Amino acid sequence: MSSLFGTLAIATGALGAEQGAMDATTNNVANVNTPDYCRQQPVLSENDAIQVAGLSYGTGVSLQQLQSIRDPVLQLRIEEETQQQGQLNAYLTAMQQAQTQFTTSSSDIGTEINNFFSSLSQLATDPTNLSLRQGVLTAAGDMTQAFNNAADNLQQQQSNLDLSVVQDVQQVNVLTGQIATLNNQISQLQGTNQDASSLLDQRDVLIGQLSGLIDVSTIPEDNSVALTTSSGTPLVVGGQSFALSTQVNSAGLHDIYSQSTDITSELTSGAMAGLIQARDQTIPGLESNLDTLAAGLSNSLNAANTGGYDQNGDPYGGFDLNGNPGGNLFVAPPASGQGAAAAMTIAITDPRLIAASSDPNSPGSNGNVANLSAVQSDTVINGQTPSNFYSNIVFDVGNDVSNSSAELSASQAILNQLQDQRSSISGVSLNEEAANMVQFQNAFDAAAQVVTTINDLLYTVINMGTLTG
Amino acid sequence: MSSIRVNPYPMPDILDALEKLQQQQDTATLELSTGSTINKPSDNPAGAAEQVMVQESSSLNDTYQQSISSITGQLSTAQSTLSSVVTALQRAISLGTEGANGTLSDSDRADLSEEVSGIQSQLVSLANTSYQGQYIFAGTANTQPFVVDSQSASGVSYNGNQGTNSVAIGAGYSVQVNLPGSQVFSQPGADVFQAINDLINALNTNTNIGSTVSEVSDALNNVSAQQAFFGNALNQTQAQQTYLGTEKVDLSQEQNAISAADVSIVASQVSSDSTALNATLSAIADIPQNSLFDYLSKM
Repeated sequence: MSSLFGTLAIATGALGAEQGAMDATTNNVANVNTPDYCRQQPVLSENDAIQVAGLSYGTGVSLQQLQSIRDPVLQLRIEEETQQQGQLNAYLTAMQQAQTQFTTSSSDIGTEINNFFSSLSQLATDPTNLSLRQGVLTAAGDMTQAFNNAADNLQQQQSNLDLSVVQDVQQVNVLTGQIATLNNQISQLQGTNQDASSLLDQRDVLIGQLSGLIDVSTIPEDNSVALTTSSGTPLVVGGQSFALSTQVNSAGLHDIYSQSTDITSELTSGAMAGLIQARDQTIPGLESNLDTLAAGLSNSLNAANTGGYDQNGDPYGGFDLNGNPGGNLFVAPPASGQGAAAAMTIAITDPRLIAASSDPNSPGSNGNVANLSAVQSDTVINGQTPSNFYSNIVFDVGNDVSNSSAELSASQAILNQLQDQRSSISGVSLNEEAANMVQFQNAFDAAAQVVTTINDLLYTVINMGTLTG
Repeated sequence: MSSIRVNPYPMPDILDALEKLQQQQDTATLELSTGSTINKPSDNPAGAAEQVMVQESSSLNDTYQQSISSITGQLSTAQSTLSSVVTALQRAISLGTEGANGTLSDSDRADLSEEVSGIQSQLVSLANTSYQGQYIFAGTANTQPFVVDSQSASGVSYNGNQGTNSVAIGAGYSVQVNLPGSQVFSQPGADVFQAINDLINALNTNTNIGSTVSEVSDALNNVSAQQAFFGNALNQTQAQQTYLGTEKVDLSQEQNAISAADVSIVASQVSSDSTALNATLSAIADIPQNSLFDYLSKM
């Protein structure tokens, strides 16, 4: 048989265990709005029984630990999807800005090309009319301005994306540093069997933030976690973080380095991958298409103008104007075409230099206007007419944005679902906590009642030999 | 506890749904205010690209119509000028016919000759007609085409050239807008000024009046034929203008088919979005604000 003091020990043990369980509830309730907090559950277990005179007596309850309820596999899926979303979001934001250059307006490239050719056709009806000639120059100026603006804006956007890449690298380094520090602290705590759940939660939050920026593979290790990019570049190993750095490349943009290896093209997800895709591929592609269009227009129109005769040579208004062979209408674009859109400039300021005439002695001839106008319908840009080529650029940009947007919606839906799942496992339910509290409180009350009863019993025992009458 | 736990935080999902509805509504409102379903290329990439091409066609259509109204003035001026030339030549013919009558005195014929000289000046002036600063019978030269010249057999010399201008009034469709003055007035065998000059000389000398009258008549026939050229050109441009007007309507219908927002559909979209938005908002308000904790405290 056991002793009264043994029973008292069981009751006080129960008081402690229930109070500990209530601590878990309290902590859960306190963190009900903490992002990524994993609810704690008290793990109670029955103490080993003791054998006294062939009978087995229970020795009560003890609180083993406060366990955080988390699903590591789900957490990994969330991190992966966060990377996907980070990439799509960064890319989409960039391309949405880029597509504004190609949105039909009163001054977009397509409209200005139309206006220019329209002004040429008007000149055909009265080739010596100085105001119609001036109209052609003005429309040509507006057209070059539209090319310049679009190219400048794309260039500016590329610089801004580059700046974001550099900032993201700094942010990645801050996060990996913090994660390495947490790794250290967690392995110290867990090495001495202490509860590290709050640090684990913090680490999950940081890994989640890191996943938004760069593709991260998480490799669990004893009491720790190693992080690498998906192609194996180490970011964090145990208590050590590996900082990324940037170097300016030949295009004046920042490449990303891990130690001395260029990993720019290895990044496949996370915001940085989206920024780099827009910065290094899509926007340069658009710029190059605009350059092709600008260079093709300039060259074809220059060739047409050079083939005709202008009205210079004698004072305008006289009756004996002699035409000189026409010169370039636009400043000749660079031979490679690169930068042609940004540099597109009209070469003449004197409207008489437009070579409308096809006959050197006939300033009233409009014979060469047809050659200039023909550029509009000729397949002068990579086998396409200027408008056709431009409409393909519009399609490509729009399609890209529309696809990315659909992918982002899908990714968002998956992420929402995963986060729902995570919350249903790890989230704090106030109803559940209230019910637990009632349960723990009642158990505590009961154990306290047992202590009171034992106290009475002990009193009885102590006074057993004393006459009270 | 073995029951299935449900997500205790419904708010993020609801906010996400709200955001989507809000976005739909913003898009629909934008479509209503612009009247177009394509407000950026990603709204309908293929449609946006097609729109670029339709706008080019539409711009060309406008340009052709504008060109037609510009050249119509020039063509009409040429036509009415030539009809004045025809009238003047008819008068010269009747004066010549009158002069061929043998009963007339020398002084009567001198009067007739003087009137024909007046007609000659009138013809020079008509042949130098200009439209908006441009001589219409100078070919493509920018000089006064007909100048009185005593050295010339016809009394007038041509300083213009043989150039002609054509103006595009449709895709691959141009009309010639001028005739060189030499073709109208100084065609060999039908030279207006030569004929008139010969008539004046014949009246003054009373010789060969009948044959010079038929010379003037030949010149008149030529001018009439050239006049018909301008009439044809005017008819062509008018027919093309009608066609372009129809094409313009087709193009705007095409444009509408690509991008016009169907106002009734979009408006009902806006209202159904707004109903859904309100329903979601009231659902949020209906989420219990209390938990079991509130009831425990009352125990």
